Order: sequence, then structure tokens, then C-alpha cells
Amino acid sequence: MDLTLLLQSALAGLTNGFVYALIGLGLSVIFRGTRIINAMQGEFALIGGMASYVLLESLGVALPVAALGGAVLGGITGVLVEAVLVRPMRRRGASEESYLLLTLGVAFAISAAVLYFFGRDARLLPGIGGEASALFFDAAIRVHAIWLIVIASAVMALLWLFYHRTVVGLSMMAASVDEQGATTVGINVPLMRTLTFLLGGLVGGLAGVLVSPLITIHYEMGLLLTLKGFAAAILGGLANPFGAVVGGVTLGLVESGAVLYFASGYKDVVSMVILIVIMIVMPNGMLGRGARKGG
Amino acid sequence: MALGAVAFIVWLAVPAIASRSIVDVLVFTALYAIAGLGVSFLLGHCGIVTLAQSVFYGVGAYSAAYCTTQLGWAAPAGFLAGMGISAILAAVVGWPVLRLSGYFLALATLALGIIGHVLFLEWDWLTGGTLGIGGIPHLELFGLMLNTPQRFYYLAWLVLAIVLWLHANLLNSRTGVAMRALRDAPTAAAALGVDNHALKAKVFVLSAVLGSLAGSLFAHYVSFVSADSFGVDRAISFLLLAVLGGARTIIGPVLGALFVTVMPHALSTLGDIHALLFAAGLVVAVIFLPDGLAGLLQRALGRREQA
Repeated sequence: MDLTLLLQSALAGLTNGFVYALIGLGLSVIFRGTRIINAMQGEFALIGGMASYVLLESLGVALPVAALGGAVLGGITGVLVEAVLVRPMRRRGASEESYLLLTLGVAFAISAAVLYFFGRDARLLPGIGGEASALFFDAAIRVHAIWLIVIASAVMALLWLFYHRTVVGLSMMAASVDEQGATTVGINVPLMRTLTFLLGGLVGGLAGVLVSPLITIHYEMGLLLTLKGFAAAILGGLANPFGAVVGGVTLGLVESGAVLYFASGYKDVVSMVILIVIMIVMPNGMLGRGARKGG
Repeated sequence: MALGAVAFIVWLAVPAIASRSIVDVLVFTALYAIAGLGVSFLLGHCGIVTLAQSVFYGVGAYSAAYCTTQLGWAAPAGFLAGMGISAILAAVVGWPVLRLSGYFLALATLALGIIGHVLFLEWDWLTGGTLGIGGIPHLELFGLMLNTPQRFYYLAWLVLAIVLWLHANLLNSRTGVAMRALRDAPTAAAALGVDNHALKAKVFVLSAVLGSLAGSLFAHYVSFVSADSFGVDRAISFLLLAVLGGARTIIGPVLGALFVTVMPHALSTLGDIHALLFAAGLVVAVIFLPDGLAGLLQRALGRREQA
């Protein structure tokens, strides 16, 4: 095997892996805070990417501000979904399946709304460092991809600090682990759930902004992103903050390795088979601490 | 009873009165209801969310297409081959996957749906890939060619009626009771000697057979199949019709299928916004109609039945 080719595919896999990790991080934030699998996590990315595109191209805002705007809009969407849709359902005592169907329905609605307002065109955001690439031995990697990896790692570290070192983060975990106990010690549990969706939406929106220079923004991009992100989070272990990154990178590397041997169409088959096998064989993921609920 | 008689007369008269395009939509209503019944069955009586029904719908369609156009077999052979392959596939895949539950099972079936769609695309020696397989012969019944929507309408709805009748019988049987026990109190059911896992696997196989039956009918109706028809969006339609209709009732999948086929058709006159309105309708239904359209209908008729 040609070494350069191998290295090139490893770099591509690493980049994809961090994309999956960013989506997976948002999914695991929402899962840990509310025990809901959010089937519209990819749509947060769609909203974030689309919003920053509109800010940049139509309103002429500077790129960093547009990027921030995209992430914030993702967060706002998260809050709205929690407050308007999830909360009334929780009051009625909805089942796991109905939350899944709800978020799936909202995902369709957002996808359809983007189709209606922005059409079928695929859009690209300019990356950090433009189109420039860095050479790593003989293999090339986009400068933007390096930034994506750095920022994703930073987000993971910040999330870890947030959940372990801040009062709000600890309260959010407490509210999720033991609702009545948290209420007893004076934690506003419904507020913590809303904040969880705010955080999940922010991470999702940011993921969209970071991904859009590499893969195009498109009304149908959400569902497959959600699934890959979910595979990443499951692979690493949903309950562990590092899980999504470890899982995402593993998934990305395996996928790009598979492309070397099979037709590229089989890439998704490989990752979906891995997802199923991991769920059955290693229910707590590769980092395997902390129980998983529901399976 | 009188209401039933009126409904029957309306059903009989529809192809004579309604336009060709409406009859065409109603044929799809019946096909979706047959496939959706399998999904509804799993959801309402075993608490299993499946997003893999598009795979079995596809297996049925491709079996019908391949057996009639490539092998030159008679149509019934294609139906049987599809149902046989689907049953075996569902048993082999379902046995390990049904160890999962809740979200994880739902997402595993979604992954199966994606795998199926990719294989339908990639195995073009069998499925024709994106180009598909054309020239699938129309069905012939007692010397009558079912080559118009009006004629196919009666066949599709007749098959649906038979399937619904079998379904009702199954629910009232010993197995039906075991299924409800499995859904409502799995531990108690196990203690009383219900083999939960085996029962789930059996229902999964049954559901796959229904999906395959609908798929074979679909192939003979449109006479052309391609991988586009068996994507994840189709699996999602089947799941949504089960949820919308009310998965615990017998009539639910029919109402749900009416909604997911007729509504987009009716809304399409409004232009591109129809997809948005449809999705918004779904969200509202999930939140406000926990028992689905069938629950709504029962309340409207002033009687409530326990499933």
C-alpha cells in the first residue's frame, strides 16, 4: 500500500471524525441533560450553517460575527424546541418513542422550511485560511480542517470543565440524574432542561458553521449528520464527554479505511454496521463507564 | 353498522366518480396501509419503533421485478420469493437487533434502513441501481388485466381488507394477548412463560412479510422500480402513518395511510410550502394526538375502546 495514500485517507478520516464528534457532542449534551435522543441535532447544524451564510453573504457581516450568529441561532432554536414542544409533552408523561418522533418531526419541518425559503441549492461558507492546505509529509489537509479539529477539541475540554467545575453544569447533571433530589436542594429542574437544549443547540449550530466550508449546506444534510453523530456518541459511550470524540475519530478512520478497499458507496454501510454491532456488543461504548439507560 | 355500510358504498363508488389521479393516490393509500400495518403492529403491540420497513418493501418490489422480468416466472412466484426472502432476512437480522430496546433499537433499525438503501443502489446487477428495472408486467386476475388505477384499486383494497381481518384475528388470539402483556408488563409476561425475545422476533418477521407484500404490489402497479423508492424517507412515512393513525387500533394504519398519501396530494396545489405544512402537521399530531387519528375518530363517535 502506498504510504502517502494511506496517510491522505487517514487525514480525511480524522477530519470527518471530528465533524461526527461535534454532532455527537451536542447529542450527548442533550442526552445527559434530559435523557432524550435528539433526532434534530443535524438540523441545528443546518440552521447554524445557513444562518451564518445569510449573515455573511446577504447582510455583509464579518465572518467571525456571522459564525457566532450561526451558533447563537442554533442555541435559540434549541430553547424554543424545549420550551414550546418538549415541555408540554413531558407534562403529559410522554414515552421515549414519542420524544424521538417529536424531534424527527421537527427535523422534517426545519428541513422543509429551509427548502421553502432557500431552495435546493447547496452553499459553501469560506473556511478559516480560505482554500489553503497544509502539507503533512506528502499528504494534504485543509487549514480549515486543522482549525475544526482544534476547535472541536477545545469545545470538548470546555464542556468537561463546565460539567465538572461550574455550579450551573453540576446542577444540570444533578437535575438529570435525580430530579426530585435536585428539586429538594433548590435546583430549578425545568430551567436546567431548557439550558441543556440551549447548550446542545449552541454546539450544534457551531458544528454547522465549522462543517459548512468542508461539506455544503443543503436542506437534506441534517439526517445523515445526526446519524453519524449518534454513531460517534454511541461508539464512545453516550455518558462520557470524551466519548463522542473518541467514537467520531474511530468512525471517521474506519470509514476512510473502508473506502480504500470497497467502492465508496459502501462507506455508510460500514459505519452503520459498526453502529449496530457496537450497540449490541458494547452497550456502554468503548470508554464503557456509566450505565446507559434504555438499552 | 349503518356507518360501515355507507363507508362500503362510498368505497365501491370511488373509482367511478373520482378522477384518475385521486384513484391513483388511493391505490397508494392501500399499499402504504399494508406496509404500515406491519410497522403499526410492532409499535402498538410490542412497543418497537422500526425504521427498516423500506428495506422489506424494497425486497418485495425487487423480487417481483426480478422474478417476472429476468427469470420469466409467473407473478405469484415473485410475491412468494419476496415474502420468503423478507422473512428469512427479518429473522436473521432481527434476532440480534431485537435484543436492543427504546431509542437504541429505533436507531439500529434506522441504520438497517440506510444499509438497505445503499445495497439497493450498489447491487445494480440485481436491482438496476438508480436506473431501476422497468417493464414489470401488470397483474392479471381471472383474465382481467389490472392495468388501470381503477382496476388495481379494488385489488389493493381487497388485499388490505384481508390483511386487516387476519390482523384482528391475531390480536384476539392467545398470541395477541401475549403481545399486549409484553408491551405493558414485560417482566410479568416473562414470569408467566412468554418468551419475550422470540415473540418480538416473530412479530418482526410478520411485519417484514407485510412490507414485502406491499412492495410486490407496488412493483406490479407502477411497473418500474428504482432505488429512489426505497430510501429512509419511505421508512419514515411508514412509521409516521402508524403513529398518526394510532398504532393500537386496527383501523389506525388505514387512517394514517390516508393522511400521508392524500394530504401531500391535496397540499401540493399550494406549491413548495406543502412539505412544510405537512411536517408541521406531523409535529402537532405527535404532541396533541397520543392515540392518533383513530383515537380522535373514536372520541368523535362518542365511544372509547381499549385496545
